Amino acid sequence: MLRYSPVMVIAKKEIKDSLRNRWVIFISMIFLILSLSVTFAGSAVAGHLSLPEIDALMSSLSTVSVFIIPLAAMLVSYDAFVGEDESGTLLLLMSYPISRLQILMGKLLGHSLIMSATSCFAFGLTAVLLLIFGEAYESQVILSQFSQFIFSSILLAVTFILLGYIVSLKSTEKAKAVGSVLFVWFVFVLIYDLILLAILVADLSFMNQYLINGLIALNPTDLYRAINLIGSDVASGSLALLSSSTMGKLGFYCAMLLWILALLAIANRVFQRRTL
Amino acid sequence: MNPCLAVSARHISHQFAGFSALNDVSFEVKRGQTMALLGHNGAGKSTLIKILLGLLKPSEGEVIVLGKNHSELKQRNELRIGYLPENVSFYDKLTGKEILSYFAALKRVTKPRVSQLIEEFGLEYAQDRALKTYSKGMKQRLGFAQAILCEPELLLLDEPTVGLDPVASQFLYGKIDELKQQGCGVIVCTHELSLIENNIDIALILAKGESLAKGSLAELRQNSGLKTRLTAPNLASWVAQEPRLAAYYADDALQLDAESKSQVLQLVMSECQVFDFSLTQPALAEIYHFYMSQNKQTQAVS
Repeated sequence: MLRYSPVMVIAKKEIKDSLRNRWVIFISMIFLILSLSVTFAGSAVAGHLSLPEIDALMSSLSTVSVFIIPLAAMLVSYDAFVGEDESGTLLLLMSYPISRLQILMGKLLGHSLIMSATSCFAFGLTAVLLLIFGEAYESQVILSQFSQFIFSSILLAVTFILLGYIVSLKSTEKAKAVGSVLFVWFVFVLIYDLILLAILVADLSFMNQYLINGLIALNPTDLYRAINLIGSDVASGSLALLSSSTMGKLGFYCAMLLWILALLAIANRVFQRRTL
Repeated sequence: MNPCLAVSARHISHQFAGFSALNDVSFEVKRGQTMALLGHNGAGKSTLIKILLGLLKPSEGEVIVLGKNHSELKQRNELRIGYLPENVSFYDKLTGKEILSYFAALKRVTKPRVSQLIEEFGLEYAQDRALKTYSKGMKQRLGFAQAILCEPELLLLDEPTVGLDPVASQFLYGKIDELKQQGCGVIVCTHELSLIENNIDIALILAKGESLAKGSLAELRQNSGLKTRLTAPNLASWVAQEPRLAAYYADDALQLDAESKSQVLQLVMSECQVFDFSLTQPALAEIYHFYMSQNKQTQAVS
């Protein structure tokens, strides 16, 4: 029965489509190269080759991933609706006995599974290699840190998949959707962080911890970094602001889930109101 | 509710943000009947199709599809409707079989039906090839197969033959004919009037959201007042010999209306002894252009 659920059918088709497009391989390879370079060659910048401390490694990995995961997630999802609309299949799908929410959930499930698989493969393989070659690390620490890192990466990817859907549903052309997702990525990943850094440097007296927590919660990329940096003493700049936040890991996870639920509700509302 | 009707639309109007897409349109399509939905771009054809599919709710009027009102339906799959959108471009990277299986799964249609349709539409040899390698005709056949997956009781086709060669078009109309024989009501939205002319039972002509004319081809011919043309070799000399024919002679042909037709034919054959002639009834394209020009004139006056 579950096999024939429209959500599962659509998810399966999205996965098949992404495999044929070689998106899965492409993203997996990018994540893997990035993860392996940061882990095994990151110290080359300092003039020697050695494995970094686990806290420093997670800090470096999350700092680099925060740029690439949102971009990959939105590139997977930006044409989910506008692309199907342009090719006429969205209208056809809507004439079928399935609801718009089922179409949305099917696509979300498919794209989320793709991003989960690529994250698990790339970062999981890095963890396995560290278990084999990183004698200085405790196995349990590697497993716990990387599990958290992979899980938070998946949550971040889902958040940006949903942002990609909203852009896709609001766009009338694929070309405009590409421009819009790049703008969204630019605002969330680059600009917002610069503002946070400016606040830190300005050391404004009225800024209390609650306000800082609020500012972190308002951006999923900062939540992602905070999840992976909290308690760490290697962070500097705006990262120190994140690592010293009093919100707590559970608080950050809850904020991230709230983001996902809110974006899902918005995407569904936009889809329900979209004229054919 | 008449069980013989596939569609009954009464006084449908639909507005989009102050723009009237449809205005008081009524028509009926019986099961086993094919209706051509004709009109210029922006005439309201697509809006009407979306209303029939239940994707749009008309601002006014009532639409009964296969005996049911869309708003009263608990589940959309209670109605067996097939639909082929205009210029649909399926998923390029998937194979023909995968695409058909995908839509079949969404309609809960079994795998044997997918195989049966692939065979019926002559796509077995290409079923495992990516869609991007398909020709336009093959894609359209696949689209048509998708539309009849659920063995529809009502089939809505939007420009099914655009860009197809005559053989491929005739193949699709052959399939439409088969479905008609099985009692399926068919609505075809097209601009290819000469192609559809011999494959329809009724036509509905729309312009700027309004119904200009509807009925069978014979009814449309009669209501338009367009005349049947009688042409023959040396017709001018025959007309010169028989003054009673002169009143009907124009543009190298005798222009005959329904009343005068039998009388003139009798005159031509018995009095003039002309048997080598041909009669050409007004084609659908002529009827269409007549109603369109009449509508333009009416609008210019108003």
